[in-house]
Amino acid sequence: MPMHPQILRDFDPHCVQDEPPACQTQCPLHLDARGLAGLMAEGKLKEARKIIDRYLPLNGLTAYLCEGPCGRHCRRSELDQGVDVPLLERVCVAQTQAARLMPLPRSGQAVAVFGAGLSSLTLAWELGKKGHQVTIYHTGPAGGRLVGHPGLPAQAWLETLEWLDKLRVVFEEVAFSPAALAEARAGSQSVYLGFDDPALTPELLGLSAAEAEVSPVSLLTSQDKILAAPFHPGPPRFVDELAAGKRAAGSIDRLLQGVSPEVARVAEETYPSRLYTSLADIPVKSTQPPADPWVPTLAEAQAEAQRCLPCQCLECVKQCVYLQHYLTFPKKAAREIFNNISTALGNRTSNILALSCAECGLCREICPGQADTGQFVHQARQEMVYGRHMPISAHEFALEDMAFINSPEFSFFRHQPGRETSAYLFFPGCQLPASLPVATESVYSHLQNHLEGGVGFALACCGAPARWAARPKLTTRMVETVRGLWASAGQPRVILACASCAVFFQAELPEIPVETLWNVLAALPRPAGAAAGEVLAIHDPCAARHDQATQASVRELAQKISQPLEELHFSGQLARCCGYGGLAAAANPALGAQFAQKRLGDTDKPLLAYCIMCRDRLRREGRPTVHLLDLMFPGQPPAEAAQRPAPGLSDRQEGRRRFRDNLLKKLWGEEPPLATEMENIIINIPEEVAARLETRRILRSDIQRVLLDARERGPIFSHPGSGRQLAGLRPRQVTYWVEYSLCPDGSYDIHDAYCHRMVVPGIPGEGRDSVSVAEGFNPEGGRA
Amino acid sequence: MTLATNQLPEIDVEGWVCRKCGQPLKVSLVAVTYMGSSFEVELPGCPNCGFTFIPPVLADGKMLEVEKMLEDK
Ligand code: SF4
Ligand code: SF4
Ligand code: SF4
Ligand SMILES: [Zn+2]
Repeated sequence: MPMHPQILRDFDPHCVQDEPPACQTQCPLHLDARGLAGLMAEGKLKEARKIIDRYLPLNGLTAYLCEGPCGRHCRRSELDQGVDVPLLERVCVAQTQAARLMPLPRSGQAVAVFGAGLSSLTLAWELGKKGHQVTIYHTGPAGGRLVGHPGLPAQAWLETLEWLDKLRVVFEEVAFSPAALAEARAGSQSVYLGFDDPALTPELLGLSAAEAEVSPVSLLTSQDKILAAPFHPGPPRFVDELAAGKRAAGSIDRLLQGVSPEVARVAEETYPSRLYTSLADIPVKSTQPPADPWVPTLAEAQAEAQRCLPCQCLECVKQCVYLQHYLTFPKKAAREIFNNISTALGNRTSNILALSCAECGLCREICPGQADTGQFVHQARQEMVYGRHMPISAHEFALEDMAFINSPEFSFFRHQPGRETSAYLFFPGCQLPASLPVATESVYSHLQNHLEGGVGFALACCGAPARWAARPKLTTRMVETVRGLWASAGQPRVILACASCAVFFQAELPEIPVETLWNVLAALPRPAGAAAGEVLAIHDPCAARHDQATQASVRELAQKISQPLEELHFSGQLARCCGYGGLAAAANPALGAQFAQKRLGDTDKPLLAYCIMCRDRLRREGRPTVHLLDLMFPGQPPAEAAQRPAPGLSDRQEGRRRFRDNLLKKLWGEEPPLATEMENIIINIPEEVAARLETRRILRSDIQRVLLDARERGPIFSHPGSGRQLAGLRPRQVTYWVEYSLCPDGSYDIHDAYCHRMVVPGIPGEGRDSVSVAEGFNPEGGRA
Repeated sequence: MTLATNQLPEIDVEGWVCRKCGQPLKVSLVAVTYMGSSFEVELPGCPNCGFTFIPPVLADGKMLEVEKMLEDK
């Protein structure tokens, strides 16, 4: 299924990175001066000449004549002086050969031109190349205002005349008169009047001023078949004459082809550039006038060319490791993602491009055109899901985890102990209790002590991963779970500890009144045991970038506990993502780590986070980092808390389970369910194996499941020489292998565990799971 | 889909036997499926019981690579 083109069309104009720079939009000939400067700076004269030949008429003659109006519009002129583009052109044409002329075969069409000024020569040049027969009628020497121009080398002028001769352009001296005009008009398809030749005036041809007036688009006069050079107020400029000749040639060519010369003439005018270019951090570098302005040297031209910035936006790319990694910018990435999804056949090589964006929204805050790349990527993911080509492996782990947390066996709600109703519902989310169980419990008791009317407790995941993965059915299921817990609490105000939960609630559960934990805590007394430490750089989570109240509350809380802070430039509205957002780290772990590293590059101070995923990810990349609850409800001194390692995947899952069982027992006197046979399997995992399991995303519980099965069924292979066994099981869409030895005490030494998604013969197991069933995944490892 | 044996890493099955029947492992052509694609690959396994033996180098290497390729198709 192709992606709807409107999504791309809506996004496209926001990113201006591929808009032409001011030098080009303000050049009447639209020369790619940025490209020219780039090549000249590197001394690539031959390539530079190709640009000149492509845009400038008369084989380089322009270089000696153009007044360089681009210089005034050049972004450099805001710093010092605009780049002297004509100087680059002059050196290039003087030191290179023009491309060979390859006129089209004769068309049999005749065009008459009056006046031999620059516009007439340009027109003759352009139409001569197309094979039309051009005759230039003139009085006195050809060249108009060119005659006697000090900067024009005689050699260049002679060459131009030779070139025109090769294009079969005929020069004919006449006395300008109405009769001469009538005759030319009768003998040709079109007539052009080059009034930039000072020898030619409308009166000489018997035309009134009104009759010589032209349409600014086509340069057609009101007289049939007659075009003319427009009159410009002010002193004449060669560049306008060149542009007029080019424009009139375009009109005549259209007329000869039976196409309207008035419509669809895009970007021939000069216009302001839409390209944004920041001048911050660009040093002043004044232009050095060449020793001889008419014969500049290559070195002088190269130095001038190196002054070109060159203009480009890339403001968002400078801050986003995702865009940097894929060597792209939003407009380009969007097209690639769009084409990838719309591919009917073959490999969708850019799936990973759509899955690696953190949907963090920083680019939108930075972009001068507010291009919302994260939102575009999210829409693309939705289309991938609808089109059934979203690869499952990217998000499956996170979704399985989420679905388990929200299963009826795991998620729960209880009123505050001893109460039947709740005025509030504390919803710490899925990760905080898993990583910071003691502080979660403490803050809950703090809330109970200071809030009136009872504070219920709910353990669940909001469902943000389903939304990031763009799975609509799964999102709905998660929303229903959360709504159900809230309903059993009596629909109270919900206190959220996680910024991503807050964004999710706002989008998917707008009927639920919510408040962030930080806003609530800021209004309560300082907790008795709160501790502060050395200066910490504060890291706002990207999900809170638009929540100024919470940002302020967090700073207020830090002040209340006397914790000194360092503010980073990229914070608040410009908060950086830790890489967890949009499940970027799930789909692309290496890139996910780079997000966190980019943040660490902003400061060498230890960090203070108030999202537990941020905290753990920043810590994992090596920086001491505390969570605000570590300071407000310390279980250990701040310096130690900052060093606490980030929990691994299994630690998280087991920590969450322990938190749940402890809390239910402690506050509500509920005995935890007896450990299952599977949970009682004791496994010994050496550190280096544990690290491999983390990258392979294999949980200790996955290993226990395989071993339990092997207990009943027996392992599949054994190695009598070493006593090792190899058990395999496919409990879901993944086949797990565990190589182990049974110890005398009944525990298992794990030598390795690994997995694959392909189905190979003979491995027992159901091969499907709740998420896949809900989302319609094919048990063979299909997509949804 | 090709998954030529010559692209597969050297698989060391030395000393491994089928736990059920005690047979040493033998390489044979087996059908592997993923994402609706099915192809034949030479893999070690028990010639009697039909179990396939997958070592970690294969799971982390070639298999992962092909899985990713098929997911992108
Ligand atoms: S900031 Fe990024 S998205 Fe915006 S115009 Fe520049 S390159 Fe494009
Ligand atoms: S700096 Fe370079 S690209 Fe920018 S306007 Fe000037 S010449 Fe053009
Ligand atoms: S990762 Fe964030 S900053 Fe980068 S493109 Fe995605 S939304 Fe924009
Ligand atoms: Zn066997």
